[in-house]
Amino acid sequence: MKHTRFGPYGGVFAPETLMASLEELEDAWRSLWSDLGFRARLSGLLRDYAGRPTALTHAERLSEEFGFELWLKREDLLHTGAHKLNNALGQCLLAQAMGKTRILAETGAGQHGVATATACAKLGLDCVVYMGSVDAQRQRPNVLRMQLMGARVVVVEHGQRTLKDAINEAMRAWVSDPQAHYVLGSALGPHPFPSMVAAFHEVIGQEARAQILEQAGDLPDYAIACVGGGSNAIGLFRAFLEDESVRLVGVEAGGEGIDSGRHAARFAGGSPGVLHGCFTWLLQDDDGQILPTHSVSAGLDYPAVGPEHADLERRQRARYESASDEVALRAFAALSEREGILPALESSHAVGWVMEQAQELQGKRLLVNLSGRGDKDLGTIFALRQEGASDAEVLS
Amino acid sequence: MNNRLHRVTRELRASGRRGLSPYLTAGDGGLDQTLDLLHAVEASGASCCELGVPFSDPIADGPVLQAAADRALAAGTTVNRILAMVARFRDNGGSLPIALMSYWNPLGHRGWPAFCSEAATAGIDALIVPDLPVEEGGEVMEAAAAAELCPIFFAAPTSSERRIRASAAASRGFLYVVGRTGVTGAGTTFDSSALDFLKGVRALAGDLPLAVGFGIRAAEDVAAATRYADLAIVGTALVERIHRAGAQATQAAEEYLRELVAATTSVSSSPSSD
Repeated sequence: MKHTRFGPYGGVFAPETLMASLEELEDAWRSLWSDLGFRARLSGLLRDYAGRPTALTHAERLSEEFGFELWLKREDLLHTGAHKLNNALGQCLLAQAMGKTRILAETGAGQHGVATATACAKLGLDCVVYMGSVDAQRQRPNVLRMQLMGARVVVVEHGQRTLKDAINEAMRAWVSDPQAHYVLGSALGPHPFPSMVAAFHEVIGQEARAQILEQAGDLPDYAIACVGGGSNAIGLFRAFLEDESVRLVGVEAGGEGIDSGRHAARFAGGSPGVLHGCFTWLLQDDDGQILPTHSVSAGLDYPAVGPEHADLERRQRARYESASDEVALRAFAALSEREGILPALESSHAVGWVMEQAQELQGKRLLVNLSGRGDKDLGTIFALRQEGASDAEVLS
Repeated sequence: MNNRLHRVTRELRASGRRGLSPYLTAGDGGLDQTLDLLHAVEASGASCCELGVPFSDPIADGPVLQAAADRALAAGTTVNRILAMVARFRDNGGSLPIALMSYWNPLGHRGWPAFCSEAATAGIDALIVPDLPVEEGGEVMEAAAAAELCPIFFAAPTSSERRIRASAAASRGFLYVVGRTGVTGAGTTFDSSALDFLKGVRALAGDLPLAVGFGIRAAEDVAAATRYADLAIVGTALVERIHRAGAQATQAAEEYLRELVAATTSVSSSPSSD
């Protein structure tokens, strides 16, 4: 295999049983990605089925209030409600071209699971989705959506019962059934997944760059996205890597604060190591055991970051910050009440960071990737608000 | 190469005798018990031992070894404590070759050169890393060679001939042959396709000893596995038995392993390759 690394990060740290599947996948991906027929089929699906291009919206009321110029790339408007469908359609189409009939996937927030179930229903493929029981509970609408589209949802009761454990179980399922295709949902894992997933999401940044030039008349000063595994962020960032004036900011989950230890901010609290097939920044203890993570958003609640982000950080081409649960919830409320957009809690972290940094960002043109919509989070939001309301009652 | 595992597996290969390679999860039941178990493995006549370092996220392991790793971690098992326990085993006169088996992260976390040197000093002979394919193995091979440790890579039923040759060329001590696709512990039968696969690996691996694992439980599995492999690996079935035996773990393990070792010697008269 070639070009498996981003600087020192990435690689193929996979069990031998999977190496043949990874080699086959790399070959298929390289040949189909440069195949005009395949690209046309994918573009057609993204346009006529998924609803691309997605809009770029000027968030006028928030811009006025905070003193910056905020533009939102509306991946929440994509079919199924998040950017995840770009990758799921791409990989399922690829799997179909490879003659695969059975698809495995993991999901955290449920958006990747829904996107994969959707692509499988559209293309006529069998679909099994692994999901931690904590996530299955907090993102219940997405479990129901997957089931309605004919996917089998396997609830994982091991470990922390979140995204990490869902990936463990999906990888075990793939080791047991290497003839299936594993649709990994973020730009992480063993090569070729980080490159391939990023390539399927490049369309986000390509559209956004053209749109902001057209609608605002210039490039943004900042391009900002939330980073769990980092697929929506890398999809945005790749289009701006050569634009030196554009600062790239990835926002990780600060959870209850970095000092609390209850967060998922890999660059602030981690160190390099190997998890789920790649060498990258991880949250781990002194003995190389993976640490529990915390975030109010299931999609950012993961201990490793995609290897391309690790390299962008090393090269100082992008910087990585964090936003706490509380900041994200404030951003959720602000976007809902002042822009009429219910954002996913994941995407709320990117908007929340912008609101927190309003001083630094005065007068700047900001492009934020609004990676998904928040319908799935209503249960979490209302539960927290009720909790907050009863706390307030107690205090008063 | 002055290394116990290298010496023992070379002797097996030269003599045509076959052996057993039991797997233990270090720290499951406490490290004192693991120390007793190492002595029991040696007393049973097994050729070597694979000592599993528990990891929080074992992607190639089935439920039994996942649970064993969880118990070991909950009991406070760390890499340093495992190495100190192995050093005690050597101080007690234990000469059983020991391969440390774990995922990249708990072993490579402190840097491979430092880790290999500490492991060799403690009395470790080999490293088996299931999420380290041969193309990522350069750094580990270099550090292992400097410390006179055997790096051990894998061959699986899905591996191409090219991959099997490369894994064999990079391995010392033995090549770890995964008998079937799947996580550790799922049942298996040594049917004709499994035997053909083993025979194929034998032809591609030069004169490197082979150890075959995954799914071996009973004496007949050992007998079938050692028709073409020099070593039969028993992991999940042993770990399960040890856990169930509670306070009688050491005795239960030794009895079970003696039975399996006897099954290897019963085919020792067959030629090593054909």
